[in-house]
Amino acid sequence: MLTYSLKRLAQLFVTVLGVVTLVFFTMRMIPGDPISAMAGDNLSGAALDQMRDQMGLNEPLLLQYLRYLGGLAVLDFGNTVTTRLPIIRLILDALPVTVSIAVGTIILTVLISIPLGTLAAYMAHKGHKMLDNAITGFAMLLDLMPSFWTSLVCLLIFSLALGWFPASGTVSIDDPWQLARRVALPVLVLSMAQIATMARITRTSVLEVLSEDYVRTARSMGWSELRVLFRHALKNAALPIVTVIGLSFGNLLNGTVIVEFIFTLPGIGNLLVGGINSRDYQMVQTLILFYAMIFVLINFATDLIYRVFDPRVQF
Amino acid sequence: MTQETISLPIRHPLKLSGLHSHSLVRLLANRRVQLSLAILGPILFLTIFRPLLPLPGPLETNLRAMTQPPSLEHVFGTDRMGRDLFSRTLAGVQISMFVGFAVACLALVVGLVMGTLAGFFGGVIDRVMMTITDIFLAFPSLLLAIGLVSVMGTGMVPVVLAISLSDVPRFIRLQRSMVLGLRTRAYIDAARTVKASQFWLMTRHIVPNTIAPLLVAASIAAANAILVEAGLSFLGLGIMPPAPSLGNLIRDGQAYLEQAWWISTLPGAVILLIAIGLHFLSDGIRQVLDPRSRK
Repeated sequence: MLTYSLKRLAQLFVTVLGVVTLVFFTMRMIPGDPISAMAGDNLSGAALDQMRDQMGLNEPLLLQYLRYLGGLAVLDFGNTVTTRLPIIRLILDALPVTVSIAVGTIILTVLISIPLGTLAAYMAHKGHKMLDNAITGFAMLLDLMPSFWTSLVCLLIFSLALGWFPASGTVSIDDPWQLARRVALPVLVLSMAQIATMARITRTSVLEVLSEDYVRTARSMGWSELRVLFRHALKNAALPIVTVIGLSFGNLLNGTVIVEFIFTLPGIGNLLVGGINSRDYQMVQTLILFYAMIFVLINFATDLIYRVFDPRVQF
Repeated sequence: MTQETISLPIRHPLKLSGLHSHSLVRLLANRRVQLSLAILGPILFLTIFRPLLPLPGPLETNLRAMTQPPSLEHVFGTDRMGRDLFSRTLAGVQISMFVGFAVACLALVVGLVMGTLAGFFGGVIDRVMMTITDIFLAFPSLLLAIGLVSVMGTGMVPVVLAISLSDVPRFIRLQRSMVLGLRTRAYIDAARTVKASQFWLMTRHIVPNTIAPLLVAASIAAANAILVEAGLSFLGLGIMPPAPSLGNLIRDGQAYLEQAWWISTLPGAVILLIAIGLHFLSDGIRQVLDPRSRK
C-alpha cells in the first residue's frame, strides 16, 4: 500500500510539474507579451518597458520559469495587473462560493441519484422493465441538457415567474441564509447534470450485486427487502459510486464556471471569465492551474480511497 | 469461448468486430439509429437547405418586427434587432455541426495514429505519450478549452483546436488500451511468423479491429464538442457575434429573459434535440458494432 501510494505520488508530482510547465509556456506564446496585450494602445514604449522590468519579463525565459516555480512553491501567484491585488487573496475570497456550490451539488446529487439508481436496479432485477426504462430515460434526458440552458430555464421559472429565489444580489459567507438562497438554483442545475451519471452507475453496480449469492442468502434469512437492498446490496456497490463522484468532478468544475457566470455569483469561475475579459493573463494562468490542481488531487484521492477500501485490490 | 479461439486465426481479422460490408444495413435496421435519424434528419435537412427556404437571412435585420414572439411568420420569434431566430438558429446549427464533425475527425485521426504507435511499440514512446496525455487530462475539459481560447483568440479554428485538445488524449488512451489487448493475440503472432512487416500488422491487423469503438467514441465526442462550443460561445469566448452560434444566441437572450423568453430557450431546445439525437446514434452504433451485444 505504502509503495503504491508513493509511486502514485511521484506520478502525481510529474503530472503537476507538467501542468505548470504547460500553462507557463502556453501563456508565453501569446503574440507580443502579456504586458502589451493588457495595456493595449494606452501606454507608450517607455512605460511598457518599465512595466516589463517590474514583472521580470525582460529576463531570460528559463529564469522567469524558475522564478515562477519558486513563487508557486510558497503560494505566491503574483498580483493582478489591473488592481494590483495579490491573486491568492482574490482566490481565497472567491473560493467559499465555489466550494459551497460544488459541495451542495455533490450532496444533492447523492441524495437523489442513489435511491433513484437503486430503485431502477431493483425494478430491473424484479423484471419491471417499464419503471426501469422510465428512470433510465429520465436520467439520460437530464444528462444531455446543456447546463447553461437549464440555468436560464430555471431562472425563468423559479426566479422570474415564481419569485422563489433571488436572481441577483450580494453574496457573502457571513450571511448563510442569503448565500443558500442564491446558491440553491445553481446547485439544482448542476445536480441535474450529475444525477444521470451517478444514477446509471448506481443502477449498474447494484444490479450486479443483486444477483450475488450473499444477497440471496440475506433474503433467505427473512430480512426485509429494504434492508437487503440498502444494507447488503448498496453497501457492496458503493465503491464504483465513490469512484464516479471523483471522476465526474471535472464536469462539476466545468459546470461551476457556467452557473457562476449566469447567476452572477462571485466564485472563482467568475474570476476566470473576468480575467479573460480584462486580459489579465496572470490571473487566467493562475486560475486554470488552480482548477487543474483541484481536479488532479481529487482524482488522486479517489484512486487511493478505492484501493484502501476494496479488499480485492492487491498491492 | 473455444469456438472463438479456434476461428480467430483462420478468419480474416477484418471480419471480427470491424466494419462488415453490410454494417450499414444493420445500422439502419437498428431502432436507436432510426430514432436518432428521425431527430437529426429534419434538423440536418433544414440546416442544409436553409438558403433555399423562404426565410430571412440570419443577419438580416427588420426594424418593423423587433422582439416578436413565435408566430407562423417567425417560427422561433425575432430578437431585439428583428432578426429571424429560426434562421439564426439553423445557421447556428450549421456551425455546431461543423465544430462537432471537425473535432470528432481530428480527435479520431490523431488518437488513432498516436495511440496505435504508443500501444504497439510500448517502451519509451509509450511512457512519454502517457505522461503527456496525463498532463492534458489533468484539466477539466471546458477549462482547458477556456484557457486555450484565451491564448489563441476566439473564432472557429481556435475553438475547434481548443476542444480537440481535450479529446485527443482520451482517444489516444482508448486506442492504446485496445492495441495493447490486440497485439498479443494469436492471429498477430501468426502474421508475424509469415514475416508481416510492423506497418502491415498495424494497418491491416490491428487498426481495423479498433475502428468500431473509436467510431462510437467519435460520435460521443461530436455531441460533447457541440455542447462545449455552445458553452464557450455562451461565455463570450467562442464564435463571436454577429455570426450566430447556438451558444451566443442563448447569451443574447439572457438579458431579455423576462421580456422575451423565446430568444434563449428555443435555440437551447435545439441543442438538446441534437444532443439526444447524437446520443441515440452512438448508442445504436455501439449496439450494432459491438459483437458482445449481438444476439
